[in-house]
Amino acid sequence: MKTRAAVALLTIALTAAGCGASATPPPSISLGPAVVRPAGAQGVTTPPQATVADCDVEASLRPGAQPPPGDMPPGSTMAQIEKRGRLIVGVDQNTFMSGFRDPATGQLAGFDIDLAREIARKIFGDPQKIELQVVDAGQRESALKSGQVDLIVRTYSITCARKQNVDFSTVYLYASQRILVPKKSRIDSAASLSGKRVCAVTGTTSLTRLYELQPKPNLIEVTSWTDCLVMLQQAQVDAISTDDVVLLGLAKQDPSLQMVGPSLGTEPYGVGIAKGKEDLVRFVNGALEQMRADGTWERLYSTWYRPLGPSPGPPEPRYQD
Amino acid sequence: MVTIADSPRVLDAHASRVWLRRFARTTAGVVVLIAIVVSTACIVGGLATGAALNARITEQRAVLENTEPFAYAAQNLYAALSATDAAAATAFLSGGSQTPLTRARYQQALAAAASALADATAGSPDMATRQALAGISAKLATYTGLVEAARANNVQGFPIGSAYLREASSLMQTSLLPAAAKVFTDDLARVDEGQREVGRPPVVGLLLLGIAVAAIVVGSVVLFRRTNRQFNIGLVVAAAVVIVAIGWVVVATRLAAADIERSRVDGTAKIEQLAEARILAQQARTDETLQLITRGNITASEKAFFGYTDDLLARLGTGSPAAAAAVESWVAGHRRQVDAYLAGDYETAVEQALSAERGGSAAQFGTVESILREDIESTRATLRVKVADAGRYLAWTPTGTLVLTIVAAAAAVVGLWPRLKEFL
Repeated sequence: MKTRAAVALLTIALTAAGCGASATPPPSISLGPAVVRPAGAQGVTTPPQATVADCDVEASLRPGAQPPPGDMPPGSTMAQIEKRGRLIVGVDQNTFMSGFRDPATGQLAGFDIDLAREIARKIFGDPQKIELQVVDAGQRESALKSGQVDLIVRTYSITCARKQNVDFSTVYLYASQRILVPKKSRIDSAASLSGKRVCAVTGTTSLTRLYELQPKPNLIEVTSWTDCLVMLQQAQVDAISTDDVVLLGLAKQDPSLQMVGPSLGTEPYGVGIAKGKEDLVRFVNGALEQMRADGTWERLYSTWYRPLGPSPGPPEPRYQD
Repeated sequence: MVTIADSPRVLDAHASRVWLRRFARTTAGVVVLIAIVVSTACIVGGLATGAALNARITEQRAVLENTEPFAYAAQNLYAALSATDAAAATAFLSGGSQTPLTRARYQQALAAAASALADATAGSPDMATRQALAGISAKLATYTGLVEAARANNVQGFPIGSAYLREASSLMQTSLLPAAAKVFTDDLARVDEGQREVGRPPVVGLLLLGIAVAAIVVGSVVLFRRTNRQFNIGLVVAAAVVIVAIGWVVVATRLAAADIERSRVDGTAKIEQLAEARILAQQARTDETLQLITRGNITASEKAFFGYTDDLLARLGTGSPAAAAAVESWVAGHRRQVDAYLAGDYETAVEQALSAERGGSAAQFGTVESILREDIESTRATLRVKVADAGRYLAWTPTGTLVLTIVAAAAAVVGLWPRLKEFL
């Protein structure tokens, strides 16, 4: 018995020693696909800024006698800007046609940028006396409040909620919210967005309106509209919905996309100004009046938004006083 | 009825045990017992010490041939990845599509990253590291795809190019670089572990050799009482030889440990410091260029920049005055950039950030980076020289101990043989 046990033990020991290299293959690693998303992209879970009680959205302050460039009334906000030597404007650098960085030159360009330059021209007689600061959509209010910028000219929809915190000029452009999808997509209206992944930018009225759709689509928020386009090209979202002027810029960068469906709503764009600067609001409204009258507005529109169709003409200003 | 106790084999064993016990009580038996115990103790002690020393030599080789080169490769991987991202960001900021120069720089950095990745992968010691490196490999491929998408769109004048670049950079900053940093710190921890292994004294082996000496002493005393003779010359020689072996091992391992300690303090620990400094410098540089790309409110980004550079200066301390001076002038350059930016002069700010001329931030950062790189190279050389020196002290110790203990065992047997012969 003992001998047999010893032999068995010896056999096991020898086998174990001989089996240093096992027949079982060594484990291999396996990876899932590398997932990339634009920084800050996330699903929308908390409701965006709610719409508030009705107000007269488009009414602004009536311009007084417009001072000539280089001769701002002493003590006014414009005189302070004149003294500083440049107008500081918060703009976008990622929205093609409205406010974007031209990759070839590194310069900012677009309808909003040109409009801001025209306002600088009205103060200084020189459209170049301007400092353009890039402000994210969600940061527009805080940039005005902190005094980081004098004006926001950045596809800024006038809403009653926003008017509680900042002042707006008269409307300088009407946009309407629509949907951008690949040409092969079956999505053709707001109703067909149900269950689809839809991209919008944090802090925009577009996101609020999408959130209020019934049934609600799967919303993904990012920090700039080009991030939405990246996600659409990478098949991470099915559609983008925002103002036609913005979608036009996106569609221009990708011929496989098209704008579909009727308007989800009209967005009046205004120039944002911090509360308590009535003189600046009146001055900007005066500048906008001049641009409507002397053909500047038409020139800017046809430069940037011609593909949207014939010019609807500048929006009629409405004043509250 | 046959009981187990009555079986012949048990009887046999019982009988031989009785005989052995009786033999052991005789002087001849005692001499044989001493010879067996002493020679066995010597050889077991020699084997244990030799094996332990051999393990230290193997570990020392592993440090020089595997772990240290891999940690070095991982550190290079981090630096090359970071340089790749910096090259892409610079190309974007300088406007237009990539110039041949910025393109070449980007591709150079990419090639360096691929080389370091191959080096680091070849040495990955476990599944987790391999998994991490495979992840870096996959994401690096994705990263380059995004950079090329950015380039193609930039050429057409589309701002989506910058969105692709931002996505690429975010992938680099939040995923690739942290993964590479983790691989490096793990590798460096393994280097340190290996070094400590080399410097550890072979306690068990030495204890067994000590027991051998004790056995010789006890054996001598017993023999002295039994035979009333002077100390057995064989046992004395055996004791002396074992003591020599112990002395050699203790001295050699102490010398090796001293070198290892130097290699840890002046090597590993310093490399860790320098690598951290390099990472901080690269983070500050990324921050500096990113604030121009973002072109918005720079308050938060300024706070981060000075957080990085202050930390960097604290880490450099007085150890590297050249690097500290370069950081100071880089920070001065950065202040000029911020002044220009805050004054609304974006072009000058970009110029200051990208200029490779003297005083330009790119040039200053380049100086910081190359000083740190050279410091890492020279510290690495120190580390390797010290570990190699430690190995030199240990080189002959396993063979030596084994030979000496065999000599001691032989001396004991040869010395006891005449005593035993008296009874035959």
